[in-house]
Amino acid sequence: MTALVQAQGLARSFGGGWLHRPPVQALRGVDLTVARGEALGVVGESGSGKSTLGRLLLGLLPPSAGTVRFDGQDVGAASRAEWRRLRQRMQIVFQDPFGSLDPRRRVGPQILDGIAIHGLMPPAERGDRLAALLAQVGLDPAHAVRFPHEFSGGQRQRIGIARALATGPEFLVADEPVSALDVSIQAQVMALLADLRRQLGLALLFISHDLPVVRQLCDRVVVLYLGRVMEEGPAEAVFRAPAHPYTRALLSATPRLDPRRRLPRIPLPGEPPSPANPPSGCVFRTRCPQAAADCAAAVPALQPVGAAHRVACLRAAEAA
Amino acid sequence: MRRLWLPGGLVLLVVLVALAAPLLGLPDPIRQDVARRLAGPMPGSPLGRDEFGRDVLSRLVWGARASLTVAFASAAIACVVGTLLGLLGGWFRGLGEFFAVRSMDVLLCFPPVLLALLVVTLLGPGSGTLILVLAALYLPGFVRVTWAEVLSARSHDYVEAVRALGAPTHRILLRTVLPNIAGPVLVQLSLAVASAVVLESGLSFLGLGVVPPEPSWGLMIRGARGTMAQAPLLLLWPCLALSLTILAMNLLCDALRDAADPRTAPAAPPRWVDRLLPGLLPPPRADAVLSMQGLTIEIVTPRGTIRPVEDVSLSVRAGETLAVVGESGSGKSLTALAAMGLLPPAARPVAGAAWFQGRDLLRLEEAEHRRLRGSAIAMVFQDPMSSLNPVHRIGDQVAEAIRAHQPLSARAARARAVDLLRRTGIADPDRRARAFPHELSGGMRQRVMIAMAIANRPALLIADEPTTALDVTVQAQILDLLAGLQRETGMALVFITHNLGVVAEIADRVTVLYAGQVVEEGTVAEVFGAPLHPYTAALLAAVPEGDGMAAGIPGTVPPPQDLPPGCRFAPRCPHAAPACDAPQLLAERAGRAVRCTRADELALAA
Amino acid sequence: MIWAAQRLAVSLLLVWCVASIVFLAIHLVPGDPAELLLSSGGVAPDPAAVAELRERLGLDRPLLDQYVAFLAGLPRGDLGASLVDDYPVLDEILLRLPRTLELIGAGALLAVLIGIPAGTRAALHRGGAFDRFASALAALLLAVPVFVVGTLLVLVFAQMLRWMPAGGYVPLAQDPGRHLLLLSLPALAIGKGLVAVVFRMTRTAVLDMLARDHVRTARAKGLPPGRILRRHVVRNALTPVLTVLALQMGSLLGGTVLVEYVFNWPGLSTPLLRAVEARDYPMVVGIVLVISALFVLLNLVMDLIYALLDPRVRRA
Ligand SMILES: Nc1ncnc2c1ncn2[C@@H]1O[C@H](COP(=O)(O)OP(=O)(O)O)[C@@H](O)[C@H]1O
Ligand code: SF4
Ligand code: SF4
Ligand SMILES: [Mg+2]
Repeated sequence: MTALVQAQGLARSFGGGWLHRPPVQALRGVDLTVARGEALGVVGESGSGKSTLGRLLLGLLPPSAGTVRFDGQDVGAASRAEWRRLRQRMQIVFQDPFGSLDPRRRVGPQILDGIAIHGLMPPAERGDRLAALLAQVGLDPAHAVRFPHEFSGGQRQRIGIARALATGPEFLVADEPVSALDVSIQAQVMALLADLRRQLGLALLFISHDLPVVRQLCDRVVVLYLGRVMEEGPAEAVFRAPAHPYTRALLSATPRLDPRRRLPRIPLPGEPPSPANPPSGCVFRTRCPQAAADCAAAVPALQPVGAAHRVACLRAAEAA
Repeated sequence: MRRLWLPGGLVLLVVLVALAAPLLGLPDPIRQDVARRLAGPMPGSPLGRDEFGRDVLSRLVWGARASLTVAFASAAIACVVGTLLGLLGGWFRGLGEFFAVRSMDVLLCFPPVLLALLVVTLLGPGSGTLILVLAALYLPGFVRVTWAEVLSARSHDYVEAVRALGAPTHRILLRTVLPNIAGPVLVQLSLAVASAVVLESGLSFLGLGVVPPEPSWGLMIRGARGTMAQAPLLLLWPCLALSLTILAMNLLCDALRDAADPRTAPAAPPRWVDRLLPGLLPPPRADAVLSMQGLTIEIVTPRGTIRPVEDVSLSVRAGETLAVVGESGSGKSLTALAAMGLLPPAARPVAGAAWFQGRDLLRLEEAEHRRLRGSAIAMVFQDPMSSLNPVHRIGDQVAEAIRAHQPLSARAARARAVDLLRRTGIADPDRRARAFPHELSGGMRQRVMIAMAIANRPALLIADEPTTALDVTVQAQILDLLAGLQRETGMALVFITHNLGVVAEIADRVTVLYAGQVVEEGTVAEVFGAPLHPYTAALLAAVPEGDGMAAGIPGTVPPPQDLPPGCRFAPRCPHAAPACDAPQLLAERAGRAVRCTRADELALAA
Repeated sequence: MIWAAQRLAVSLLLVWCVASIVFLAIHLVPGDPAELLLSSGGVAPDPAAVAELRERLGLDRPLLDQYVAFLAGLPRGDLGASLVDDYPVLDEILLRLPRTLELIGAGALLAVLIGIPAGTRAALHRGGAFDRFASALAALLLAVPVFVVGTLLVLVFAQMLRWMPAGGYVPLAQDPGRHLLLLSLPALAIGKGLVAVVFRMTRTAVLDMLARDHVRTARAKGLPPGRILRRHVVRNALTPVLTVLALQMGSLLGGTVLVEYVFNWPGLSTPLLRAVEARDYPMVVGIVLVISALFVLLNLVMDLIYALLDPRVRRA
């Protein structure tokens, strides 16, 4: 598989500056690739930098350091015209089904916004495209004239997906697209995303804090903690044999229906430290059950532990 | 919306009259006729003549014209310039923001009347000066409103979505941001017009506004003051015209503000319908701490009365954990609030009973209920941030819960509060007791809520989605804490959640709600192991677990104003049959309860 | 602490901005003040007189010199002297300002004593008879401009009923009873708007608070209603109410002009109006400056009180 999106040394901080408290370091030193047609899951607790990563990859937020290449092209260095062309090829779906649609406009024109902005199609043909898009996400084309508030959460999420698909993107960032939905609806939208990926060959960055959901949809996973990558690898391997103490704790804390699937709980003391003041060395060391003195010394590098499976932990080999 | 008509009509009338002043065939408002000085009503002058013998009615009408011209012109200028500055400042931030918004702070340092007087001193009185001054006065309001609205609009995903689509800035500002901030700007505009009318008349009254002999309401009052003793009516007319106009404008502003702000939607008026008589229901289960039977809740909404909870029964024993599961809108929280006696004003329990320690909670006097709340029955809510009072220290809030039910000194209660915080796993409780809620993390806040709830050793703890807002590792901590406390105290726990995994981990029994009704009830092992109701089965299949793709349930939960007549799950049920068109009853089946006629055949078929 | 110091610095900066704007406004607006001052009825003034006045005012010096001299005078309280009677501007202000503040204080007292309890009561019984009556009354009070109320009060109580004089002022030390009698009508006129605004804000804030989750928590704790009302509703509602009250009091600095005029109350407005009419620049500038500075100071104090009332503000 060829790399479609490639990030190198990506970092981003917020705030700080004149007379302020230290900046929030939302993301630090992240290297990552998304291959064409691949679904990469990003997991982590709130504030771990998942959304920031998504917006950086899309170029919606300039990085503090590092580069993002899309199909070989440096997104940060793109000219205005190039940037506009890139916008058609990469899109985003948001978490909040109520905040992601303009409450004052009918959904049809909103779905067609991308096509209108880029003048992709003669206006006469847009009606057909709209109907096709709505059908593709499982909605009645007659719904195009309604306003967002007339839809349920799951339906709005489908509309958001239709809007993102309108320009025919190759890369989609889905930022917690099912987290605000009820389980029965969540499964519907997951199935839709899986179908679309198959049909359209989309590359997907799927952001979620819900590990089982990621496992269902994604080929590969990246585990973030406090803005750093803790572990990455094939979804199957990471979930079956998590190598990082944090991943293990996260998996063991995930409630399970089936008692046989339940892992012995690895309790984590306390809560994640403030990203404005992260621990030195391994950022996880303040809560890590295996932490030792050397963990404070340097930031552990990602080391391979299996095929394409890498872990940033000094003690990854001893444990497991 | 109805509130808009009367004031709107009145304002429109004043505006129309002012516009039509030249067409009404009124006498010249400026021509003096000293012979008719202070004359009473007479033909051609229904309101009489003023101190210079000028026609009062004509001066009133032309005065409206002067006032409104100044008011509308100044408000319009302020609106256009201010909105533009606010838009640019809010969108581009940085230096532009600094100048657009901070310069307004300087303008705001001048009390309004003072600024007006200063400018009048410099430029001399007159309508032009007035318009300039008033526009400058209202400018900061528009800048600030627009700026704040743009900032909040910027953070909305739908603005981000348009940006992600590659829309150019001017398109985002004009097509997406501006329409969404139009409401507040319109409200600001109406406020500015109304207050400009007030200021204009005040300045004219001081002789610093409209220049005589031009008619103006303020000038008329100024003139009439001199002859107050002889002709008090002369004073009355302009006062009345001015006050009525401002009143109508203010009312219009209020109505517009309400229309633009969904938060202030009017609540349903209370109804004087009595509750049903108790006694028709089976007696409570002997060993249950809480036994709720046939609870039905009605809410009066503007679009009719709805029943978001109907015939809900549940019971929980000491030391037992009952999970109440259901998707959003299934009536979980209302059921819990009914037991606490904390239903919102528009909601009333209309049938059923909730037995607790020999008393029916649904029919308790408020004072009696209050003595139970926080002592024998306690509750923990979903959002620990908003559930704590931001202005009091958490130690005080816990101590307050203790003192509400125990005769302790403030000192002793504080010491107990610190103990409780320690018991709920808060490190360094002495120091943390003095913290304010915003200084704690989400998990910590939820621990405080739990400390408050167990302060008086409740027999029953109701936890309404206590971990939904928390991360999984913190959720695991809180679940462990609750389980530990329950082991120690033997309290009964009702745990409301939509997360079936959590149910499987902590609960003994489970009650499944769908669209306001109990559809299945039993031990967790039985219900999750072999669900009897098609909804329970579908819900379990929708949980992502393992490698296979979870299966969604087609369709959505019906809203309470639009429930199917028969089985409420029928439109989404794969097993629906003609028999399902009849209302379904909760039936006993092998020690479990299920609300489905076909449960037997389906179980057999399986 | 850093926060308070920062606020103080910003306030000083604002006062400096205000002073500079006032100075620039006077000197950059077309038309020579001296000429304007001496001209009457379109007759061109005597050039010699103009030149003499310009020299007296220092207008013949370079603008920057004048600006520096003006700023340098401020910390010493040197605001110049009236062009009309040569009386020091600061002395005039110090004599009259307390009387204006007394009016505002009396109005604010009324607002707190009537507005807050009435607003709370109206919110607790929303839609009830008291709420409807008080809300309508507040709307009416807000609609009638202050000089209309003042004029009507004079008409009714002084002209028709003859219960009290139409206006005037007697120092408190000289005759406390009469001082208060003369204070009552203007205080009522000033207070009517304040009471109405505070009433409405209290009602809204209390309604808002009643719907908050933390009030539900307080009820779930089984607290008695009185305590919930005091500690969890009114206490939290106080922040927006006091903010509005402060804003209103601020705009009354200078806004008392109308009332003082109607009731002949010898506050700051008398010299201000006289100065505006006579184009007595030093007087106008002095009064505007002092009042604006007071206004900034009031905002500063309010911010500090705000921080005391709401711990969330302190760290921001
Ligand atoms: N626009 C912003 N301004 C300031 N801080 C931000 C901003 N966006 C994100 N952050 C901070 O960066 C960190 C990572 O945030 P985010 O990427 O949203 O995490 P996640 O999506 O994993 O919850 C958090 O501490 C968050 O508060
Ligand atoms: S490096 Fe040390 S602290 Fe970090 S995860 Fe590994 S063992 Fe834990
Ligand atoms: S009653 Fe019929 S429709 Fe309802 S759940 Fe049972 S089988 Fe399905
Ligand atoms: Mg996020």
